[in-house]
Amino acid sequence: MALRSRRRADPAPPPPLIYRWDLDKTYLKSDFDSLRELVKIPFEKAEDKIAAPGVTALIRSLREAAERQGRDVYVQFISASPPQIGRAIREKLELDGVIYDDIIFKDQLNRLMRGKFRHLREQVGYKLTELLKARSHGSTIAREYLFGDDWESDPLIYSLYADVAAGRVGAADLGEILRAVHVDSPLVEEACALAESVTSADVVARIFINLERRTPPANFRSFGTRLAPTFNYFQTAACLFQEGVLDLVGVREVAASLLRESAYSPERLANSLADVQRRGHIDPASAVKLRDYLRAEQLLPLDGRSRAGRWRALARRIWARLHDWWSGRLATTPFLVDYRALVSRDRPGESS
Amino acid sequence: MPTIAVDAMGGDFAPDAIVQGVAAVSLSTEIQCILVGNENRLQKLLEGVTYNPENIDIVNATEVIGMADDPKEAVRKRRDSSLLVATRLVESGRAAALVTAGNTGAAVLACAKHLPMIPGIRRVALASVYPRQVEYPGQDYLALILDVGATIRSDADELIQFAVMGSAYARRVSKVAAPRVGLLNMGREDNKGGEALVEAHRRLRSLQEVNFVGNLEGHELLSGRADVVVCEGLLGNVVLKLLEGLAEVVVELTAAAAQRSFRWRAGLAMLSSGVGRLRELTDYASYGGAPILGCQHVVIKAHGRSTALAIGNAVKVAAKAVRDQVPQEISAAVEKVG
Repeated sequence: MALRSRRRADPAPPPPLIYRWDLDKTYLKSDFDSLRELVKIPFEKAEDKIAAPGVTALIRSLREAAERQGRDVYVQFISASPPQIGRAIREKLELDGVIYDDIIFKDQLNRLMRGKFRHLREQVGYKLTELLKARSHGSTIAREYLFGDDWESDPLIYSLYADVAAGRVGAADLGEILRAVHVDSPLVEEACALAESVTSADVVARIFINLERRTPPANFRSFGTRLAPTFNYFQTAACLFQEGVLDLVGVREVAASLLRESAYSPERLANSLADVQRRGHIDPASAVKLRDYLRAEQLLPLDGRSRAGRWRALARRIWARLHDWWSGRLATTPFLVDYRALVSRDRPGESS
Repeated sequence: MPTIAVDAMGGDFAPDAIVQGVAAVSLSTEIQCILVGNENRLQKLLEGVTYNPENIDIVNATEVIGMADDPKEAVRKRRDSSLLVATRLVESGRAAALVTAGNTGAAVLACAKHLPMIPGIRRVALASVYPRQVEYPGQDYLALILDVGATIRSDADELIQFAVMGSAYARRVSKVAAPRVGLLNMGREDNKGGEALVEAHRRLRSLQEVNFVGNLEGHELLSGRADVVVCEGLLGNVVLKLLEGLAEVVVELTAAAAQRSFRWRAGLAMLSSGVGRLRELTDYASYGGAPILGCQHVVIKAHGRSTALAIGNAVKVAAKAVRDQVPQEISAAVEKVG
């Protein structure tokens, strides 16, 4: 009895939260589809840069929710852009009121000076080594959330990082995978050395891929349910609410910012929530809580269905949930990504 | 932007073509669509294509009305069919219009059963569009023909109502100020065609609200003499199927001829861009669908063989008809005629 009361009085502190963000196409709506747009980027000022709809509200809300929960929070940006544009980006983040702890740029010029031209377009090796370096300093009890997009190889990089950190992919296998995706040898060696040195911990809770190119979500099935492809940051916020790292107030902030600043309508938000639920990234109970709260806040349209219709829908969802549970769709054992199969064909999430 | 309920399980290529069509519309417009059908199946299909979830909702329906099903029996018994669930979404006000490529008879019955009729209208009419010659500047290259199967026989009152509804639809959708209306008959003379047609002809001639051009013979269907062709359902259906069959025969004969002679093949190759344009004009996929007129809501019946492109266009036609307030225009025209 005494032991129980002591436990109640002195609960274990909640694990710290680490949010690692990609910059271009994830945080920023960067346009580098043409050479002209690419050349323009270094000359852009902070006020010329545009953040993706809802992303600033989400990052701010995540920090505020963590503070309300008494959790330590660490926000890091990892960009493949050169440090020469760092000033404009830092100013942009400041302008947006985004507080971050670290920002990493890819030193393109240094690589160019060393004659490493191939490194300029290399993403997998660069990002993975940066993530592993960051992991080697991070807490083993932290919960990490990774944010990327469907333009480059973020799904592969983040999944590999999560599995290397958890010890599910060893250094030898990692080397083989990286060579299969044509990562340069020095980076392969560096990544393998880092993989061997990091303390194994299953720290990555979820990976979010911003479907900026509207890549079909089915293309990401081979990465398992840990990876959630989302069409907008309201969907991401809904998933993070289910994770317990964002509260209702935080989701409301994201929804309100989309309505206020990005010309979203309550119907578009309602459809987004229904879509992410149907895709199995949030459970019916969380979706119901969110819907009820956001309707009360007048951010979602009122339910137009009859009472019988609502009951039928609820019964169907419970049945679907039971079915999922039975068929092991929401299995608690970690999903094992078959990297060999993935790299032997076109990398999912990438267009040819 | 209007919300369109789409029967996702109706049509020869459903649900794949329907989902692809709606997905394409979700990316290029702000039209809100509700896909009605087997939720799990539709979601799986949707996840395999490029789409914008912000513009798409899915409502589950456990049953399907097949193309070969008896319409009366199916509408009576399959209450949870995708067609009936979609129709009820329009009835309840959750959607502003319905699009279906499914069983035509069932679609007409579902509308008559669940959707309120425009006051004064006795029966709904199924319309269709077909390409024909253009005679005056600004004339739509598509003519509207109704009824093509919602009714079998029609009396004079109903034929006049079809003329008023068709005229109002063409005014709003084709943007023709005074569409020419013709009565399909076996001769131009006003005493031809039997009691109902003679009576309809006499009364239409005296109607100020309709730009009536008189009787229209079969060979004039493809001319630009009329923008709206009025006939009873049995005749309209025969005409429509004949036009479709004729187009297929022409294509087949041309292909066969080209195979036999090098000169023909070369000639066809030289005309290829013109033939392509012609095919574009006559392709039903490019104009999506045709309306079921007479309800207070917009209902678009797409071709049973609708492809994704046709469904996308049918959804756009439905949204345009909602925006242009076609039912209100018809209602006002019917009220004027009395």
